[in-house]
Amino acid sequence: MENQGHKLYEELGALARFVDNAMHAISAAAPQIISSSTQLPTAASHLSDLKKMTEDGTLEVMRLTELVQDNHAAMAKELCGIAEVLKAMDCAILAGRLEQVRATMAQDDKHLMEIMTTLSFQDLVAQRVKKLVTILDEVQTKLVELVVVFGLQRNGNAAAGTGIADQMLKQLEESKTTAMKQQVADDLLAQFGFK
Amino acid sequence: MPADPNMKILVVDDMVTMRKIVKNILKQLGFANTDEAENGQEGLQKLREGSYNFVVSDWNMPVMTGIEMLRAIRADAKLKSIPVLMVTAEAQQSNLIEAVQAGVSNYIVKPFTAETMQEKIGKIFK
Repeated sequence: MENQGHKLYEELGALARFVDNAMHAISAAAPQIISSSTQLPTAASHLSDLKKMTEDGTLEVMRLTELVQDNHAAMAKELCGIAEVLKAMDCAILAGRLEQVRATMAQDDKHLMEIMTTLSFQDLVAQRVKKLVTILDEVQTKLVELVVVFGLQRNGNAAAGTGIADQMLKQLEESKTTAMKQQVADDLLAQFGFK
Repeated sequence: MPADPNMKILVVDDMVTMRKIVKNILKQLGFANTDEAENGQEGLQKLREGSYNFVVSDWNMPVMTGIEMLRAIRADAKLKSIPVLMVTAEAQQSNLIEAVQAGVSNYIVKPFTAETMQEKIGKIFK
């Protein structure tokens, strides 16, 4: 009985040491955990920006493609009318050349449609970004839970702004506000004598 | 019976880019009478209010997914005969089987070409 009590005491001691070590390990990692939990929402926000940027770019390409398609449709109609007149005037050779132009335009219309369908890449990108943002949100929630459960606190500025992730996020953040528009660049260039 | 160029087509997709792409392809293929909805619920509402002949729908959408809308269409006495073409990034066999079981008329995996769209429409309305 006494022997069993001693063994239990030893096991409880080992367990206490294990818990203590684990607590120390978690405390040591606290700055990184806290840092990551604060970085993730910013990273997710940049991913969402990326989705928006691809959407804006895609819509602009679509708008221009549709303009060209509409112009082609109007030109094809016009060429058809001219070809009819030429045929009526017995200018078969000229009419034939116009037909060739129309055939080339029809081929280009096919290419334009291929451009439109290729733009569906944006939908696939958006769906993947959405899933990544969901994953980041979930990881961030779990990290915050860890911080709360273990009562982790940041020790001064340790780990703040030192990691690669921090630097990259800073660059991304800065690019939002400090990215120069062409007009600003031109104004600056003008100040240096560029005309 | 070949597809009627004047038939009214509803394009359902939550992404504005995809709605534009599908509508553009349909227009180039000769089908200019198109309308659009942002999700299954809006699509279903439009189908119940109007007289559509054909539906082109995405799968993954908020509020109501494409597969849920498809099931609702097939369960509705007035709508059940409308052909539904799914255009989706869900490329797993299980998705295709689920869509077939739900009564899809045909299935296109993104990214796709205009030829594929033409071929599928041809098969649906042959």
